[in-house]
Amino acid sequence: MLDRNSKPIFMLAILFLLIGVLTACSQSESGASKEANPSKDELILAIGGEPEDGFDPTTGWGRYGSPLFQSTLFKYDKDFKVINDLGENYQISDDGLKWTVGIRKDAKFSDGKNVTAEDILFTYETTKDSSSVVDLSNLSGVEALDSHTIQFTLHKPQSSFIYMLISTGIVAKHAYDDRYQENPIGSGPYKLVQWDKGQQLIVEENPFYYGEKPYFKKLTFLFLSEDSAFAAAKAGKVDIVSVPPTYAKEKIKDMKLVKLDTVDNRGIMFPFVPAGEQMDDGAPIGNDVTSDLAIRKAINIGIDRQTLVEGVLEGYGTPAYSVADGLPWWNPDTKIEDNRLEEAIQLLEAAGWKENKQGIREKSGIEASFTLYYPANDQVRQSLSLAFSEMMKNLGIKVTTEGKSWNELEKLMFSNPIMMGWGSYDPIEMYNLYSSKTKGIDYYNANFYENEAVDNYMKLALEAVTPEEANLYWQKAQWDGVTGFSIQGDAPWAWLVNLQHLYFVKEDLELGGQKIQPHGHGWPLTDSVSEWHWRNK
Amino acid sequence: MNRELVITRKKWSLRKQTLALILLSVIILFIMVTSGFFVDAKKLDVHLENRNIAPSLSNLFGTDWLGRDMLARTLKGLTLSFSVGILAAFSSTVIAVFLSFLASLNQLLDRMVTWCIDLFLSLPHIVTLLLIAFAFGGGMKAVVIGLALTHWPSLTRVLRAELLQIKNTPYIQISRSLGKSSWWIAIHHYLPLLAPQIIVGFILMFPHAILHEATITFLGFGLSPEEPAIGIILSESMKYLSTGMWWLAFFPGLSLLVMISIFDLLGQNVRKFVSPYQFKSWQV
Repeated sequence: MLDRNSKPIFMLAILFLLIGVLTACSQSESGASKEANPSKDELILAIGGEPEDGFDPTTGWGRYGSPLFQSTLFKYDKDFKVINDLGENYQISDDGLKWTVGIRKDAKFSDGKNVTAEDILFTYETTKDSSSVVDLSNLSGVEALDSHTIQFTLHKPQSSFIYMLISTGIVAKHAYDDRYQENPIGSGPYKLVQWDKGQQLIVEENPFYYGEKPYFKKLTFLFLSEDSAFAAAKAGKVDIVSVPPTYAKEKIKDMKLVKLDTVDNRGIMFPFVPAGEQMDDGAPIGNDVTSDLAIRKAINIGIDRQTLVEGVLEGYGTPAYSVADGLPWWNPDTKIEDNRLEEAIQLLEAAGWKENKQGIREKSGIEASFTLYYPANDQVRQSLSLAFSEMMKNLGIKVTTEGKSWNELEKLMFSNPIMMGWGSYDPIEMYNLYSSKTKGIDYYNANFYENEAVDNYMKLALEAVTPEEANLYWQKAQWDGVTGFSIQGDAPWAWLVNLQHLYFVKEDLELGGQKIQPHGHGWPLTDSVSEWHWRNK
Repeated sequence: MNRELVITRKKWSLRKQTLALILLSVIILFIMVTSGFFVDAKKLDVHLENRNIAPSLSNLFGTDWLGRDMLARTLKGLTLSFSVGILAAFSSTVIAVFLSFLASLNQLLDRMVTWCIDLFLSLPHIVTLLLIAFAFGGGMKAVVIGLALTHWPSLTRVLRAELLQIKNTPYIQISRSLGKSSWWIAIHHYLPLLAPQIIVGFILMFPHAILHEATITFLGFGLSPEEPAIGIILSESMKYLSTGMWWLAFFPGLSLLVMISIFDLLGQNVRKFVSPYQFKSWQV
């Protein structure tokens, strides 16, 4: 038998052995789960886009697309008609200041508790107080009229307030604390099971979801880099993977390419005013070349957008003419015929921009040249910038391109053209980009665009009672036949392309009807998650 | 067979062989570097209709996703790497010479210099380099400063050791007794004696500097994506490797490797040439 001294050592040895066996087991287990085919009601997705700030709608989660864990008061159908979700009806008072929303009574959070007006009140108040990307400054107060009716009071009429109701996921008041963003409780179709930051997110069906139950009981989102996601798809380990245009021409066995049209646009913002002014922090404002309407217009009609789509996006995109192509508030008249080089040159000649010996145009001593900046780590924007610069040579406009970090761009964007990207389901984005009130605020009207007529139309659009009426004014702000912020009007931007969002999806998987996708590749896809199913089932 | 070998040996003495190798590598390097200046600017332009072409006779290195000729880009990149290398190696050498002279002045300074050398050598090059380049905000200037400030220690160590020896030789003592200043001695006695080590050290620092430049640029802390640097080309190509566009990384990488190896060869042979007797002891 063992003597006393050797007993602890013996125990220790067994302990180590046990630990060794256990870790070996868990390793092989996790290895196996990755290898094995997912059972039929589970999906593995690699669509990127891990939200840094977590899953708290009050700080911005779910703005683009659906919040997945939470549900919203209203939502869009495929054709951008507003339909009910948590809300059952809404009335707007005659002065447009009071919005009363009735809430369905059978809705429950994923922990089984009822959704009441209190939760909605709490959500909106928290959102308003959080200094996040969500702008609720026009909301003066929220009031719960009874347990299932809520009333919003606005400072001034805002027809686009409906989009706040569409995009803000409702959080559970009783479950809201400092760690909510990692442990979200909501009334959406799924609930969070596990989030390994930087690796994966596992969600399961919310048993208390009041809407149409999704077919898939469990979704695993892997956060992989573009190439490893692609490699995983090739190895058959994921069911849906988002890919950049460069990979889209590849073939993957048993997977099909799904192309979704978007308003995820890319365009160049031109400083609208001549140089001279300065921001408070000393950043210069304005640019003497791009403040000339002739230059901006010539660029807009002189570029060949289709070639950019073919060449840079490998054909996976569409030419862009405005910030909101294809959305209900888009004015179809803003679409123009481009690639009209001769007209563009005539325009420049007429405005006094004459070619000098180096082949670059000049007007009263100013050379038609500028530096186009783009975020350095974005290859699509870099390629677009380079191709754009090449096209500008034909017009005699010299464009140098330079990649910078966002921090540096924030200092440069008031005085230099920047390759930007927008695209939202909320028409307030137009207001932010083109209103004289938002000049120099964050990334909004950073080119200092101003047009009184546009301001008026947008004011009318915000004060309109019905979305239809508002859309009419939004369209007029773009082009009313005389002026506007579209290419026909002041052309403060040159919109170039709308990307297509590309996904490789398992051959038999149907993703339901997808809307035009917003800015942000990935999460918006899950908007239709309840409709996903296998074919022949 | 043996006889033939003997005959060739007689035709080409070791010294001649060394000289020939030096000449050859200088010529190749010269061609590599200057060809960058003669690259047709048109080839660097975006030609969307010619994108993603595999290597062929008209595009020896193929083209990238914007239709830019990879041969032209590679040559430009090599020229850029060369100029970054020369700037960095030169400044590093100046620092090394200065510090080693400083160390020869007195005990205290010697200790400080040695401490500095140990400090810099104890940290991995690339870490210090990243830190410095980041602190200076990236770009050409930051990279050159970073490279200059990190590559001096090993050469300084060699030079300091040499100086320690020379300092104690009788004629230096005599020179000092005759009232010559330290400065005079440094210029007239030290410098000529150290010249071989300085030249060799300078050349051998080159490949290091260039490789490190490419590395931090690859990692995104170096030159901006506008510059046609090899590091940029390589990091961009990573996105296209999975789609089978191997030529984007292969040729530029190979060219960089060739350039570095030739530099190394040049350095070794110059060393052999200028001090043949010490060569063996140096080979360690």
